[in-house]
Amino acid sequence: MAAQNKAESGSEEMPAATPTDPSAEQKERLIAAVKKEVKQLMEEAVTRKFVHEESGGVTALCGAVESCLGQGLRRRALGLFKTSSTTALLHKIAKHCPEAALVSARVLAAEGAPATRSASGVERRPSAPRPPLCKRGSGSLLSQAPPTSRYLWIRIALFERQLAKIIEHLVNNANRYYERDALVADPDYGSILSSLLVGPCALEYSKAKAPACFWTDPPADELVQRHRMSAGTTTPPSVRRPILNFKRSLNASSDDGSAISTGTGKAAGSSAKDYVESLHQNSTATLLYGKNNVRVQPKDVEEPMPGYLSLHQTAAGLVIKWTPNQLMNGYAESEGIDKSVYWAMSLQVCVWEVVYVHVHRSQASDALILVGQDGVQRPPIHFPKGGHLLSFLSNLETGLLPHGQLDPPLWSQRGTGKVFGRGRARRRPMPSLCESGETEEPEWEETAGDYVFRIVNNAIADREAMRHSLLERAVQSPPRTPRRPLASTSTTSSDSSTMSVDCPPSAGLNGHPPLTPIPHQPVEQAASIELVCSTMRRQIISRAFYGWLAYCRHLSTVRTHLSGLVHPNIVPAGGAEGGLTEERWLAMTDESGAIHDKDEVYRLVYYGGVQHDIRRHVWPYLLGYYEFGSTAEQRVEQDMACRRQYETTMSEWLCVEAIVRQRDREATAASIARLTEASGKLKPSDNNDASEVFEDDCSVISDNPPIVSPEPSENEQKRPDKPVLSRAPSIDEVDNIEMDSERDKETKQNGETDNSDNKELDVDSLKDFDDDDVHLKSVVENPDMRRESIAEIKRLAEGIVQKGDGRGLLCSVDSAHVNGSDFRSSIDENQPSPVQQHTSVIITNPSVDLAASGSPVSGGTTATVSPARSPLGVVREESQSAGASFDTLEPADRHAPDTRSNCVSPASSNGGVYSNELVESFALNLHRIEKDVQRCDRNYPFFTDENLDKLRNIMCTYVWEHLEIGYMQGMCDLAAPLLVMMREEASAHALFNSLMKRATDNFPSGQAMDAHFADMRSLIQILDCELYELMHAHGDYTHFYFCYRWFLLDFKRELLYQDVFAAWELIWAARHVSSEHMVLFLALALLETYRDVILANTMDFTDIIKFFNEMAERHDASAVLSLARELVLQVQTLIENK
Amino acid sequence: MSSRKKVLLKVIILGDSGVGKTSLMNQFVNKKFSNQYKATIGADFLTKEVIVDDRIVTMQIWDTAGQERFQSLGVAFYRGADCCVLVFDVTAPNTFKSLESWRDEFLIQASPRDPDNFPFVILGNKVDLDNRAVSAKRAQQWCQSKNDIPYFETSAKEAVNVELAFQTIARNALAQETEAELYNEFPDQIKLNANDNGRNRDGDNCAC
Repeated sequence: MAAQNKAESGSEEMPAATPTDPSAEQKERLIAAVKKEVKQLMEEAVTRKFVHEESGGVTALCGAVESCLGQGLRRRALGLFKTSSTTALLHKIAKHCPEAALVSARVLAAEGAPATRSASGVERRPSAPRPPLCKRGSGSLLSQAPPTSRYLWIRIALFERQLAKIIEHLVNNANRYYERDALVADPDYGSILSSLLVGPCALEYSKAKAPACFWTDPPADELVQRHRMSAGTTTPPSVRRPILNFKRSLNASSDDGSAISTGTGKAAGSSAKDYVESLHQNSTATLLYGKNNVRVQPKDVEEPMPGYLSLHQTAAGLVIKWTPNQLMNGYAESEGIDKSVYWAMSLQVCVWEVVYVHVHRSQASDALILVGQDGVQRPPIHFPKGGHLLSFLSNLETGLLPHGQLDPPLWSQRGTGKVFGRGRARRRPMPSLCESGETEEPEWEETAGDYVFRIVNNAIADREAMRHSLLERAVQSPPRTPRRPLASTSTTSSDSSTMSVDCPPSAGLNGHPPLTPIPHQPVEQAASIELVCSTMRRQIISRAFYGWLAYCRHLSTVRTHLSGLVHPNIVPAGGAEGGLTEERWLAMTDESGAIHDKDEVYRLVYYGGVQHDIRRHVWPYLLGYYEFGSTAEQRVEQDMACRRQYETTMSEWLCVEAIVRQRDREATAASIARLTEASGKLKPSDNNDASEVFEDDCSVISDNPPIVSPEPSENEQKRPDKPVLSRAPSIDEVDNIEMDSERDKETKQNGETDNSDNKELDVDSLKDFDDDDVHLKSVVENPDMRRESIAEIKRLAEGIVQKGDGRGLLCSVDSAHVNGSDFRSSIDENQPSPVQQHTSVIITNPSVDLAASGSPVSGGTTATVSPARSPLGVVREESQSAGASFDTLEPADRHAPDTRSNCVSPASSNGGVYSNELVESFALNLHRIEKDVQRCDRNYPFFTDENLDKLRNIMCTYVWEHLEIGYMQGMCDLAAPLLVMMREEASAHALFNSLMKRATDNFPSGQAMDAHFADMRSLIQILDCELYELMHAHGDYTHFYFCYRWFLLDFKRELLYQDVFAAWELIWAARHVSSEHMVLFLALALLETYRDVILANTMDFTDIIKFFNEMAERHDASAVLSLARELVLQVQTLIENK
Repeated sequence: MSSRKKVLLKVIILGDSGVGKTSLMNQFVNKKFSNQYKATIGADFLTKEVIVDDRIVTMQIWDTAGQERFQSLGVAFYRGADCCVLVFDVTAPNTFKSLESWRDEFLIQASPRDPDNFPFVILGNKVDLDNRAVSAKRAQQWCQSKNDIPYFETSAKEAVNVELAFQTIARNALAQETEAELYNEFPDQIKLNANDNGRNRDGDNCAC
């Protein structure tokens, strides 16, 4: 029993150290092992929420507990000899301890059905360090233990959650079962042991083979956490790579798949499933030979590991594969991370690349070593005794036919099948003299011996033979038997190295009749050795040369691709790590308030960021808004001018906004009216109707011709001077017209009004109101109110224009805005009956206007006092009063005519006849802006309604100035941190303007994004080719779409606000210090921070998107930033060195 | 292993900005509604396992940016989609009107094998709001005219019809079915040595 053995070996060690000291040290060690395992298991439970029953952690813990229990056990006294002593102990205490009785019964049941516990579960996770005890116990002993019974009772007790109680029982009754100096009998250690196990006993254990929640989507957090655990205490992977990760697999000469995977993620790159499938007999490859438990010692592993060896015949030729057992059958309990270790170990050797097959036969096992064309040895393959090696070779020989063969061929022996050619057994050194061959040893199989076979490809050999026939003669090649005529078509690739290896004519090429050993002469031997040596020399030199050449080419690529990305001169960090503090800033400011040393500022910011308190003052410089060297006065002036400009622009678009609002309101009213009507009436609505409504809506929004209604009305005469009117006034008159003309046809149905569209101007827009009016009880009030409200807006607007004050305008916009949003709330109140609802829809419009008219009036006059009110806030305030205001304000006096005349002024005074297209395009942008502003960083306390309104103004102003660009999603995110920092609209806008000079190009209309992706590709390819290969292999995400948001928003969504500030400062400062494209290096740093997680989990395109989306705002920003700086430096040095 | 092959259904959610794509996705996957969602930039996806006709399928639901300007990115994400969900806001007629162009754009970019029968599902979202502007009838009629696309009126906020809609989406996508096993699965694994626990074992225990 392994456990027993181990435990005993533990106790055997003990006496040496403990005759005097009662094994305190040993106990400490045992208990530490338990502690460690408990800790690991609990960690596993935390990350995964449950623990798999067959997890390595469980086994390890059980092992540790077993050793504790086994130590100092009074075996003799208790009569526990044969079986696992602790199991016997369990059965013994079952009489006294109910928990033990329960577990004991289970154990008996489980032993009765031995198949219950699958063997695969007992493997240890390779990445988890083995407990020290297991290390001490010899591996072979451990492995021989039948897994079914290993720690069985401890396992069951653990799963049944009884283990802690059983141990407690043992501890309490230790004197009966244990020696006095045993761990369990120790008052301290005993209780520690039982209390340690309380935790694991409380865990959930799962038997599920592949729990869906685990396999499908391990969340990003878990991946990172798991990686940290498995990585142990190592620090973040920032400095673990050399400056230029130029790796070239030694064997990757001709074919990617042909090489032994050299510990990189390449093997892992091919999907595990495909790999295992490829081991089967399938359409592309014939399985010639398969043997399990063939041992190979991969790199970095201490002893050979068993695995499955297979020989496949593919179209290209023979392939030998070896796969560790862990990959073959241990899939259930292992994890992705652990697997990768094994993937790296698996072997794949293409036979056509192998030249020599060395066989070393010893008493222990038969080893087979493949030597490639390049002279590199593959790891030895150890076959179990019993003729397996021979059968492998005979299969290999068969597989090589018809185009190739083993040289010398295997000896065919009647009855026993093939044997090793007797005469070919060679002693080292390798090309030794042949033996006479007549000593026929019957037990040759038992004797140790070395054999060398050459794999001959006839196709190549033929060609080579032709080419080198002269040479051969020159070196006195022995007389050869004539070659068999062979197919001259070569299926295998042959390069120069193949030829040179094949050319030595020492070994007979082919065509020897089997069973005949070649008689070699000494002269020929010497010549051949010479030739082999010269060939090797040549190869070594050429390899070195090609390596150097490739490296040079590589570097030149680096230079051409990357020299544009960084500045050639490296600015040293010396003393700048502290960043730009307030003291330094003040020290740099001269008496006129000017800052001159811009290089120093940039350098400080680049290496250390800006102290938060002075960010507000520094940012304008960093963004290039303030000039370095400008005096305080100049800057104040600049600010003033900027604000004036800002306010002027704002007043412009606010006018347009008012128009847009009005249109919106009508459009909404129209569609709602339409909708309610459709539902309320028995109108036979059909397809046409549906689309018609659409068109109607459109017409309301856009098709309204901005012309003056020729309809004679009192108001009309007062504005003969304006040829084009904004939409708002036209409604007024429409209403008036309607009052007179439409009231009489109240009872008519809607179809008729539709028809009248052509006759009456503006009727299309009226129509909806017509319909509504039909149902209105209080039609009379309606137009008046509406007129008043519009007049109100205009009056306000005018007042503002006169004052030149942006604030006032805001208020008027508020009032306009209320209209749109408020009727919603009044609908709520009036919801119950359709008729009522219908009415309310119509009435609300004016009613809110009225309600709003109260405050905006004062707002207009005392514009400076009233703060810019957010639409949202207004909605909240006004919605409560909406219902009431309707009644109270109903008898509003009709002073419309007077105010009406003023209404033209805002538009005209701003030069403002706005074309329909302009209004429309602004309307479109406005709606988008509002949608996005409302949901911009709502979780961040700064963004109250008031500040959101500022953000909206910044956006609108920018878009108004850049209508050709328009609003694009993401602009809000870029402006938000600026506003947070500057607090003030005008300056935030100015900074945003500067920021957008660079950022505009990132948006879909620009080209920068594609350039970023391309640069990222080159950078990764050069700085981390391992990662690049993974990205390339897995759904090829070298298009880097997962970085899209990073670049578009300058990492604003990836980092927390505080970190965004720092990251942005770095980006801005870097332009002048090290790189115009700091974003690239930040992205690279982010990627590199998690490269191990990405590689370990062989993430594909979707995995990586998900990973980074989940990791948003959880990065360690300062580490990322410094890694980014480091990467810049790497590239700079790389280019500098040439 | 009961079901060897897992079915992965790729579902793309499209629609104008602010119609509630992210909210719908999160309501379905996480059963949560938040008014804190930001405008989606780039693309994100969530996965959820659902049972369709006694089969466990994994839905991979892709949430995209709403502004049509970002559609050029779509091609990377649309490819291999099994179903496309078009969302509009019942309170905003314009979002309904753009359904047509979303649909066309998707068919161009994703270029499914059989565009005429590619499964779409239309969701009219925000029915919890009162200022409704697109009638169910109108939406229904449009859907009928487009090869009978299934139409659901949903509210991501109040979880109205969300589950039902996504069940339909899963079913229609499954009909379209492109099987994609998760690579962690090992179908038909070779288990040559069931008793061997992977440790060194010498001797002639060849199981071949």
